Amino acid sequence: MAKGSRDLSRREFVAASAGVLLSAGTPRLTRLELTAQQAIDRIRARVGLPWRDTTVDTFKAGDPATVVTGIATVVMATLPALRQAAAAGRNLIVTFEPTFYSGNEDPGPRATDAVYLAKKAFIEEHRLVVWRFSDHWGARVPNEFAGALAETLGWAALRSADNPLVYSIPSTTLGALTAHVRARLGVKGSLRVIGPPDLRIRRVLVSPGTTDMPGTVTNLPQADVILSGEPREWEAVEYVLDTASTGQPKGMIAVGRLVSEEPGMRACAAWLRTIITEVPVETIATVDPYWRIA
Amino acid sequence: MTADAVVARIKAQLASQGIAWREGGRDTFKAGKPETEVRGIATSGMSTFDVLRRAAKAGQNLVVTHEPTFYNDRDLTTGLEADPVYLAKQQFIAANALVVWRFHDHAHAMRPDPLIAGSARALGWTAYASPADPRVYVLPATTLGELASAIARRLGDRGIRVIGDPAMKVSRVVLGPGYGVPALSSANDVVVGGEIGESGGNTEYALDAAAAGQPKAMIMLGHMMSEDHGMQEVADWLRTFLTGLPIGFIPAGEPFSI
Repeated sequence: MAKGSRDLSRREFVAASAGVLLSAGTPRLTRLELTAQQAIDRIRARVGLPWRDTTVDTFKAGDPATVVTGIATVVMATLPALRQAAAAGRNLIVTFEPTFYSGNEDPGPRATDAVYLAKKAFIEEHRLVVWRFSDHWGARVPNEFAGALAETLGWAALRSADNPLVYSIPSTTLGALTAHVRARLGVKGSLRVIGPPDLRIRRVLVSPGTTDMPGTVTNLPQADVILSGEPREWEAVEYVLDTASTGQPKGMIAVGRLVSEEPGMRACAAWLRTIITEVPVETIATVDPYWRIA
Repeated sequence: MTADAVVARIKAQLASQGIAWREGGRDTFKAGKPETEVRGIATSGMSTFDVLRRAAKAGQNLVVTHEPTFYNDRDLTTGLEADPVYLAKQQFIAANALVVWRFHDHAHAMRPDPLIAGSARALGWTAYASPADPRVYVLPATTLGELASAIARRLGDRGIRVIGDPAMKVSRVVLGPGYGVPALSSANDVVVGGEIGESGGNTEYALDAAAAGQPKAMIMLGHMMSEDHGMQEVADWLRTFLTGLPIGFIPAGEPFSI
């Protein structure tokens, strides 16, 4: 794998050199080109983790030989996000979540569904390439999603020394913290809260994405509230409810999986810009899919 | 009658309704001693600490729960051995001679599924059940916004979440229990369920469908808002063959304050 990456790097180097040499006024010069495959090979070489043999981080749609005009990172490659990317000339979409309605991208009974077919047709028509970057971007240490979510909330310097997922923030209440989270994350219907508004908060467990039970049980005793993406009601929610019953009340602020992962994919775009300079790299904002009754 | 004997009666009743007992599933004793003499039974959507307290207070020492007691699907206690919340819950169960037994897989195997029937009853939809598909309800035409508001009012649902255009006309509703949210497709207008993963399914489908000009909607009630009511159905069913024991329903309730 490393050998393949070096070979590609050499080809890119040759292309880049040709571009420089011919740039002095030659109108038909070889433009500096980066294919989707080359971009991904560079990501694989630079992500800082051994590439897994079995991984969901593969091409999901489009031709890897496509020349990249721009890269868009997204939490989830929904049709609206793909349209936004295409309109901006970003034809390589790097997505954290699946594209075709299942973890393994098998649309199942939806294979003949008009919505699925419309999405496939849009990708083909605009020659988009969709690549998933989940296992590896999600495995970087410290966790990119937790760090970026905390940074978005203004806590970059407040990570506790004893636990990288816990942030020691200036003393506040659950109600005030909820208002802060709502304002900073642009969360709408996805926001759900457990606990009394006057609950005193000093330490926050930051748990974006799917908030699992082992992580909650291990870390919540060191915090006053869990800032969750997507908790399960029979896991983290029940645990938080039971803490109150034991006289040690804890709060939960759930913002939804997609909303909670947006900062992490914005950070992904920033990281990609440090390794891919040939084309623009941007993130496409996540719109909270849920609304609430007023 | 011991808790063990009560469960044997439940198994026999299920068998008489054509539901064979399958070992290896979720429906096992989770806490307490099966040989405990049962003074009363409480059913609930989830055996939270609070539900256990209310059951103990009501003298209902066998708690029949639909969802887990110890924060994971199989009620595995690995990693919980030293957790103070887990230990306090176990101590409360022991001190009050409670027994917790889970009734999940076999409840969903009943026809009608009491978890769906209970939601439908709570929502006032029973009369709209489609004869062709037990999960489909054909409601008088309304808008998504009106439907969601009516549901929230009816259930006292504070954490209800909706995807789709509030002005969208809806009539055909698929009702799924808890985490068993049916797949959204062109066959129906709106899916109503408890909770669901936000990727790998209905969420991106609903967003894609709206963008493709074929709007579909999803209403997430929350897990307990979706399944608590079904355990009232289960309490009613237990009373039909477990006579002489007080049997009550204790809702786990809406966990979210907003």
